[in-house]
Amino acid sequence: MALIEAKNLTKIYGKGETAVTALNGVNLAVSTGEFVAVMGPSGCGKSTLLHLLGGLDRPTQGEVLVEGQAISGLNDDALTRLRRRKMGFVFQFFNLIPVLNAIENVALPLVLDGQPAREVRPKAVAWLQKVGLSDRLENRPDQLSGGQQQRVAVARALVAEPALILADEPTGNLDTRASDEIAALLRQVANEWGRAVVMVTHDPRIAAYADRIIFLKDGVIVDETRLSDGAGHSVLTVKEKAEAL
Amino acid sequence: MSVRYAILGLLAQRPRHGYELRAAFEAVVGGEETWSVKPAQVYATLERLTEAGWIVEDCERQEHQPEKRVYHIAAEGRKALEEWFQTPVTLEHQRDEFFVKLMIALVSGVGDPRKVIQTQRVFIYRQMHAATTLRDSYDPKNALAQILLLDKTLMHLEADLRWLDITEARLEEVKRQPLPEPEIRPRGRPRKREH
Repeated sequence: MALIEAKNLTKIYGKGETAVTALNGVNLAVSTGEFVAVMGPSGCGKSTLLHLLGGLDRPTQGEVLVEGQAISGLNDDALTRLRRRKMGFVFQFFNLIPVLNAIENVALPLVLDGQPAREVRPKAVAWLQKVGLSDRLENRPDQLSGGQQQRVAVARALVAEPALILADEPTGNLDTRASDEIAALLRQVANEWGRAVVMVTHDPRIAAYADRIIFLKDGVIVDETRLSDGAGHSVLTVKEKAEAL
Repeated sequence: MSVRYAILGLLAQRPRHGYELRAAFEAVVGGEETWSVKPAQVYATLERLTEAGWIVEDCERQEHQPEKRVYHIAAEGRKALEEWFQTPVTLEHQRDEFFVKLMIALVSGVGDPRKVIQTQRVFIYRQMHAATTLRDSYDPKNALAQILLLDKTLMHLEADLRWLDITEARLEEVKRQPLPEPEIRPRGRPRKREH
């Protein structure tokens, strides 16, 4: 079973003559351990799709299913709980709290979920170590590079052990090198740590890290392509790979 | 061309045996998958370089084994190598197989140019995925050369993708314009110009 599924997902903003169809009948299923990139020109509906998948917005038509359960039936409280426990979010501008250090930022979702502080800290430290920030635990965001801040954000997204990570242009504010590192980290999150990752990006180089690319245009999926077998192995034949490299 | 100078350069680094040169070359260019040379090609090159006086051959006596041939670079070879370094490398961009395919798709009416573009785009993404995966498998602390070579591959693939996007966006415009046709020349012997 797919971890998250979109069925005939449609979003129309406004009414009558001024109505804008941002998303038009999108079907999509993402499995555990899979890294999917959503690509397309700006205004193609990719952010709308991510917001609907994350329950941040409600569709005009269609349905989002998380582990087989339709999320449209949930009230706001239940939806908030589902987001906090099943989903992690990574944004373009990191969205870290400036006055909190790395550990406190990562621990925040658990604190908000009512977990006691002494249990929360070791979990935050463990995730920061996994994303390669063992030596930056006590640093505040302004004492970290862009790439490091985004690593903190990835750790924060993972701390509640969600099954799904949604990333909106996670490398949009990073230089090439940091972008590659974050993309490689997200691949690890999916392929090695067994999360489903859906990432919106306009950067082909970053999309190339994914197992699958969805091409959106004018709110419709125009193409879909598989790049790897899901375990990070390229789908190219040995000969094609040799010729390519 | 480059194989010859690479061999010359590897001999400038230190004297080597023939079999060792082949492995050294393949290691530098990023593995035998990327650029493999046959032993025969290496030995033929060594022969030519010896004839040209760019390298000299030495025999190394070994106990209980046939003697080994070791190659050294000569002064002439060093000079040739220096000249090689002073010459830029011509890169091939203009002669493009995909471009030809797309143009023929436009004029023949057989293939759908958009599909031709999308097929190529998907293939490039797959290549990028493979290159990215390989690149991430190298440790920058001891395999920086391989990483830099893959970076170059990735940058070129990225440029190809960007070009596909631009071309796809302007496909309708291209279709409206007459595609390049050859100039029609009169057949037969050209007439003598009258003064």
